Amino acid sequence: MTIGFSTGALARGDFRRALQILAGKNTSAVELSALRQDELQPLVEAIESLDLGSFEYVSFHAPSSMEAGFEQRALELLGRVSHLGWPIIVHPDAMHRPEDWNRLRECLCIENMDKRKPIGQTADDLERFFEILPSASLCFDIGHARQVDPTMGEAAIILSRFADKIQQLHVSEVNSQSKHDRLSCESVLAFQRVSHLVPTDIPVILESRVEEAEIEEEITRVREVLSPENHLAMASD
Amino acid sequence: MPEATPAIGGMKNLLEAEPFRRYREEAARVRASLDELLSNEIPAYASDDTSLVVFGSLARGEWTSGSDLDWTYLIDGQANSDHLKISQKIQTTLEKAGFVPPGATGTFGNMAFSHDVIHQIGGQHDTNRNTTQRILLLLESYPIGARTEAHERVLRGVVSRYLEEDTHPLTHDSKRYRVPRFLLNDIVRFWRTMAVDFASKQRDRAGKGWGLRNAKLRMSRKLIFASGLLVCFSANLDLALQSEISTGKNDIKIKLASHIRNQLKSTPLEILAGSMEKYGVPGDTANQLFAAYAEFLQLLDDRRARESLSNLRSENSRTDAAFQKVRRFGDSFEQALDKIFFENASIAPLTRKYGVF
Repeated sequence: MTIGFSTGALARGDFRRALQILAGKNTSAVELSALRQDELQPLVEAIESLDLGSFEYVSFHAPSSMEAGFEQRALELLGRVSHLGWPIIVHPDAMHRPEDWNRLRECLCIENMDKRKPIGQTADDLERFFEILPSASLCFDIGHARQVDPTMGEAAIILSRFADKIQQLHVSEVNSQSKHDRLSCESVLAFQRVSHLVPTDIPVILESRVEEAEIEEEITRVREVLSPENHLAMASD
Repeated sequence: MPEATPAIGGMKNLLEAEPFRRYREEAARVRASLDELLSNEIPAYASDDTSLVVFGSLARGEWTSGSDLDWTYLIDGQANSDHLKISQKIQTTLEKAGFVPPGATGTFGNMAFSHDVIHQIGGQHDTNRNTTQRILLLLESYPIGARTEAHERVLRGVVSRYLEEDTHPLTHDSKRYRVPRFLLNDIVRFWRTMAVDFASKQRDRAGKGWGLRNAKLRMSRKLIFASGLLVCFSANLDLALQSEISTGKNDIKIKLASHIRNQLKSTPLEILAGSMEKYGVPGDTANQLFAAYAEFLQLLDDRRARESLSNLRSENSRTDAAFQKVRRFGDSFEQALDKIFFENASIAPLTRKYGVF
């Protein structure tokens, strides 16, 4: 399993520190996060200086929201990232003019949203974005999906409808305040209801906010949740 | 079991005819005005954790001039003492705007919490109020405004909860879904509870309001019950759902839950119309059912007749002109339902198997 952490989860806004934390850990993937607008340029300009050689998979998280006046500048900066071929994770509501984001082509990766966001929570919502952005792929955030619908019915619909678009998985507990946290027992049970629908070969990025000493344990927990042996039996017939 | 060929085309056209269209459009207008009113008086009255949900004729799309407004402030989030203040403000705002308040039972016009609705199904703590809120949430509820997430989450949670308790959702040969018995039994229980409460209210209120309650029991309450049965039966009858049965056991309940949720997006009248078309109920039965229901709505929309029914006590029912009308269209409505549930080749076997014993 290709699995790793988001730099934003490990050291908010400090990607160098996050990469230091990950050095020597058993991770094969990383997501470079510029979750706030003013973090984007420094991160893009630092990419060449980062040692990412130990990762099989690298993705890039665009700011989770941005001012309309910053959108074109963001697209210029993210255009540079797209030349590296990395998936660029974008929140649907961060795009003021979604059609302009087609310029990122297949690097554009749209994420399903949590309950705070006005759009992008359901399969129908996402469908509208994929109509405008046909080359885009999907970053399926299983924690967001659970927060929107704890029965995991909507998660199952999203996973089934966009099976061929799933680029990567975001995993964490998303609590009632929409904060990312370590997986709780509730999340584990919920995720196991749909884990059989998650393609086995897609990279997994953890967004759980953990201390350095907790990284390995959280990774082990996620591996167990997604393991085919642990899919929760929903029916006995 | 083969799906019957529709006996008549466009059964849903019945819903496009008057007076159904008028009352449906009026309900949509009132719901929109309600949102506007509350948004002005209580900005952001709903949130990602709360929804204002209406029930009854406003939710069913059957709003007539004398309709009362049944609502609840549904909470699916962290406990917060401000929820009560918001609920009270909603109540005051609606009263000032002249909406007829909900009945005196306390079932509506206040807060409801998702935990009770989802967890307390059956058992000692499932009160009449909780059962009523839960079943009506499924069968005739409508969230007001743009913040509908809490309503949607709770509704899915309730459906999922019912299905969790059904150990074997498929028939022995795994080719069809079985009727979800836990859900069906709760809907049947709710119908019987309404009938028993009818007698209880007659005693508690010394006969006051008997006529109107009787008419509603014969018509709109019975409609809700019938639509609930049909939603449950559709699990076994809907061919599209059966075609989705996969070898992946984990998908089975998720697909059934999704099917039931989608069914519940329709109003009870739409469920009746859609089922009659799908299962080949003869056109004259459909016409009989909708004609009777149209008479009921028109009577409720007639201020004098409604008032007369509201004031009618049971001892005068055999001589009251308005009630004789109720009795007549009520009988006709029931005859049509009998034909659907006891004579239709698809539905009747399920009524026999699940309806009584």
